[in-house]
Amino acid sequence: MNQSIMLLIPIFLPILAGIGLLLIPEIKKREKLLAIVAFFLFATGAFVVNAVLNCNSEVTLFHLTKTMPIYFKIDAIGKLFVSIVSIIWILVGIYSFVYMKHEKEEKRYFGFYLITFGILVGLDFSSNLVTMYFFYECMTILSVPLVIHNKSREAVMAGLKYLFYSFCGAYMALFGLFFLSKYTTTWSFVPGGVLDMAAVQGHENLILVVAFFMIMGFGVKAGMFPLHAWLPAAHPVAPAPASAALSSIIVKSGVLAIIRVVYFMIGADFLKGSWVQYVWMSLALLTVFIGSMLAYKESVLKKRLAYSTVSQVSYILFGLALMNPIAMTGALLHVVFHAFIKSTLFLVAGAIIYQTGRTKVEQLSGIGKEMPVTIWCFTIVSLGLIGIPPLSGFISKWYLAIGSLQSEIMVYAWLGPVILLVSALLTAGYLLPITIKGFLPGNEFDYTQVKKLEPSKLMVIPIMILTILTALLGIMPNGLIQYITQTIAPLL
Amino acid sequence: MNGSTILFGLVFYPIIGALVSYLIGRYHKKARDYFADFITVSELICFLVLFYQVAKGTVIADFNWENFCGRGIHFSLDGFRVLYGSIAAFMWAMTTIFSKEYFTHYRNRNRYYLFNLLTLGATVGVFLSADLYTTFIFFEMMSFTSYVWVAQDERKESLRAAETYLAVAVIGGLVMLMGIFLLYDAIGTLEMSKLLTACAAYENKARLYVAGICMLFGFGAKAGAFPLHIWLPKAHPVAPAPASALLSGILTKSGVFGILVISCNIFLYDKTWGYLILALGVCTMFGGALLAVFSIDLKRTLACSSMSQIGFILIGIGMQCLLGAENALAVRGSLLHMVNHSLIKLVLFMIAGVVYMNLHKLDLNSIRGFGRRKPLLNFAFLMGALGIGGIPLWNGYVSKTLIHESIVEYILELNGAHMVNMIPLLKAAEWIFLISGGLTIAYMMKLYIAIFIEKNNSKEEQQRFEGMNQKYMNSQSAFAIAFSAILLPVMGFFSKFTMNRLADLGQGFMQLEESGKAVNYFSLANLKGGMISILIGVMVYVFIIRICLIKKNEEGQLIYINAWPKWLDLEELIYRPVLLKIVPFIAGVFSRICDSLVDWLVIFLRKTIYRDRKIPCELPEGNIFTHITGTILNFIYSLFHKGEKKTGNNSYVHIAAVKREEIQENAMIIQRSMSFGLIMFCFGLCLTLIYLLYLK
Repeated sequence: MNQSIMLLIPIFLPILAGIGLLLIPEIKKREKLLAIVAFFLFATGAFVVNAVLNCNSEVTLFHLTKTMPIYFKIDAIGKLFVSIVSIIWILVGIYSFVYMKHEKEEKRYFGFYLITFGILVGLDFSSNLVTMYFFYECMTILSVPLVIHNKSREAVMAGLKYLFYSFCGAYMALFGLFFLSKYTTTWSFVPGGVLDMAAVQGHENLILVVAFFMIMGFGVKAGMFPLHAWLPAAHPVAPAPASAALSSIIVKSGVLAIIRVVYFMIGADFLKGSWVQYVWMSLALLTVFIGSMLAYKESVLKKRLAYSTVSQVSYILFGLALMNPIAMTGALLHVVFHAFIKSTLFLVAGAIIYQTGRTKVEQLSGIGKEMPVTIWCFTIVSLGLIGIPPLSGFISKWYLAIGSLQSEIMVYAWLGPVILLVSALLTAGYLLPITIKGFLPGNEFDYTQVKKLEPSKLMVIPIMILTILTALLGIMPNGLIQYITQTIAPLL
Repeated sequence: MNGSTILFGLVFYPIIGALVSYLIGRYHKKARDYFADFITVSELICFLVLFYQVAKGTVIADFNWENFCGRGIHFSLDGFRVLYGSIAAFMWAMTTIFSKEYFTHYRNRNRYYLFNLLTLGATVGVFLSADLYTTFIFFEMMSFTSYVWVAQDERKESLRAAETYLAVAVIGGLVMLMGIFLLYDAIGTLEMSKLLTACAAYENKARLYVAGICMLFGFGAKAGAFPLHIWLPKAHPVAPAPASALLSGILTKSGVFGILVISCNIFLYDKTWGYLILALGVCTMFGGALLAVFSIDLKRTLACSSMSQIGFILIGIGMQCLLGAENALAVRGSLLHMVNHSLIKLVLFMIAGVVYMNLHKLDLNSIRGFGRRKPLLNFAFLMGALGIGGIPLWNGYVSKTLIHESIVEYILELNGAHMVNMIPLLKAAEWIFLISGGLTIAYMMKLYIAIFIEKNNSKEEQQRFEGMNQKYMNSQSAFAIAFSAILLPVMGFFSKFTMNRLADLGQGFMQLEESGKAVNYFSLANLKGGMISILIGVMVYVFIIRICLIKKNEEGQLIYINAWPKWLDLEELIYRPVLLKIVPFIAGVFSRICDSLVDWLVIFLRKTIYRDRKIPCELPEGNIFTHITGTILNFIYSLFHKGEKKTGNNSYVHIAAVKREEIQENAMIIQRSMSFGLIMFCFGLCLTLIYLLYLK
């Protein structure tokens, strides 16, 4: 078949399917609805795989103006991101087949779930700034229904907060976009940047300000201080699978956008050594610390995990800010690992809510006796997140720290690793007690009260798959590392 | 993967065995116990075969798995590694055999066996590791799996001790990781065989010291060095006895292993480093010994004793660095003391296990007299006590003498080199060394006399103790204890054949090539140090312990008083308040402020320039016309009445609005009645029309 169509199918198939699902009247039989959703999820997954493996072509869908095409092409970074998106989206989708049973209006949820999938694939495939911005905004708006799903006052307020913060960020980015257009040769993403040096001459400071605004703007989605507050508000109120997707995927699209702006539009060489880099690094490190600290102090499990996301995504941003190949490898590795780990953690939190209704950490004493497999998975990925070898989080931390030390940027070179390790300690402090209390409730614990509460297979299997991926990628990361090294070679 | 897969097998065989044993244990408990025995014993046999081959010089093995965890893992086998691997396997085999009886009444045994075997794999991994990356991987694994040991019985104090243990392990691990980062960044390799040359070539020594101290922090925490020893006296008393034996006998040694790697490769013959280690060693040694004297809890005494013995080993390591190339005495002394301490503590903790298994108590007043008429137990304990006390002819004597002689040698060397200013310090170190040796003898005497010689204060208890002379342990446990105990005098009596050879085998690891001049352990000069220690020990026992630490109670019976200095607990005094209260509080406040910065800004803006308002021009009542009229009338009114304002219901705005409403209402009524009338009129007209047209 025509290659360009194969490229568009994975984007528009789920979008159309989702819209269709929203338009058709209520489906009486639950199984039927799930079968439809499952079909489209897997079909999209298959088309994504096909597109990733076989498509080299580029597609110009239409022109917004003469110089602004909506334009798709798959490049190496896009492949990496789209693979993560597909894996997580399908697994989380399977999980929500069971989880959503205790929420209402499943059809609406799955409709928006499918649409967002398509939008995300589009975001990863888009190959110029305008296209990306378009999908980015779509993603923001279309993921709101996932956040406010249960329509409680709290959820709606959180959804509004999410929207306001996101728009605030998006407008900062848009502001940058307008300015940038004057100084670039093209809208398309080219490794190393597209700045028109002749035009830039004399306006360097302006470009730096623009770059800063764009990083800050897209950084909102990535939960970078000071505009991170939407994350801990939106995550706890969303249904667990939605929080998993939000935290592992949507947040990462902010990272992708920053990568595109910094490494494909402006160019790392231009920013290296400028005040933008230093401010960016400082903000990222500050976020790493305060995220962990607040997670440590938080008692609602999902909120704790949300703060943890704030901190962990800033590991990635710190790696990007260092602008050296090793740290960047670490950052991209952490994109992958954090996606797997954090979605598992949220899915487990969801499983606990679904089975027992408990949301606070202190209620979880003895939970390991009730749902052993689930909590084992939780333990393993927690260790991964802390960065205990041989699990995956350790690998990314290794690269980030070594990259930071080798960058030799003043005080940041060693402050970076120190803060990463302090944050790892705090991570241990906020995740391990759950496991410990879960498996070792103390000898006053009443074993006769223990019920077998292991969730159904459809919930456990995605959790297990993600856990196994976390462990395997830690033990044998070399394929991935090699791929990433090749990917970023032209960028720096 | 390449190289000899046997090394790979040695590490991963117990790990796989652990998982299998867990599965077996879900269905059959007895089978699981024997399976665990089988795994550990077969691991031991493997190691002994390799040991034999290495000793003969036929095997130097190497194993690489390039892609494991990114940078790959690298194991190798040399004399030291095979020696320590064998000791680890031996200790595991003995304690596993002993565990069967010990754990009979425990809950969650399956968990214990799982983590026990996992820890064996991890520990062997640490000892076989040939680069620091591998060491770190297995070290972390070991820390986490051994956590379960401490927490096993889930009592409140166990959980608390386990928490301390884990916290020390995690913090130590992270700081060590920082050291490894720095080291790798500085010299670009972590291979132990390349460290020496790479570090020698590296100029920025300050950076190496920072890296070294970070790593020392991590390894020292595991070894139980001052001031990170806090987990030792907490974790040992609450852990099950087989686990305590392993914790103190072998896990602490993995920390020492790390310190050896740093000292003998990165800082080979570095004087500054040597003094640092020496100082740490002296503090650890003396502090541990002193605490042990005060303690009246059997296992806690042994734990403090472990700490103290680690101090002896650290002093040996410090002397290795100080003595430079002529450090044969220190190398051999510290190596042998590691071996001796492992084996001795294995015996002593298993005996403590027997006591606890029968009585479920550990404090000296309750278990006093338990050992009477139990010859086997008595013999085993005596061997351990004599060994660790450094009594001539037992194994501990040899290693302590070597370390002591190395200090003496360094003092002579300093004398020769006219560096007089350091001599008083080293003299002091020597004397503290001898005094600590004396304290060792004193607290072991205290334990021995209390358990095996004195009678219990309660007659019935004593009768009960003596009545159980055959039933207090089964034959398997007895075998494990007796076999481990018999090794100690054998090693001591035949020190030339056993200990010298072990030292020859292991010393290459510490960069010592030639075996040096043969030391006559029983020459007068060497005996002198031992004798001074013994003398001090007896004096301390007679004049301090018997007089100050044993008091009469109201009934005139002698009891051991608990002189454990609670207020001196560094953990409660400093670490816990600082790490759990003060720092999190300050950082928490700071983070909260940062967290809500934007939220506050938004609120501030909404209260000021973006104030929440009604929809523009929306009036509470009336319309724009009445509002304006009313406002004007109000204004006029206030003009005529000296600024007096009409408010509320009197305000013209209100009146106008009400008037308007009234007008509106009336208009409505009129409107409605008019239209109604019109419709009726129309209706009537229509009827009239129809009538006129058709009916007429």
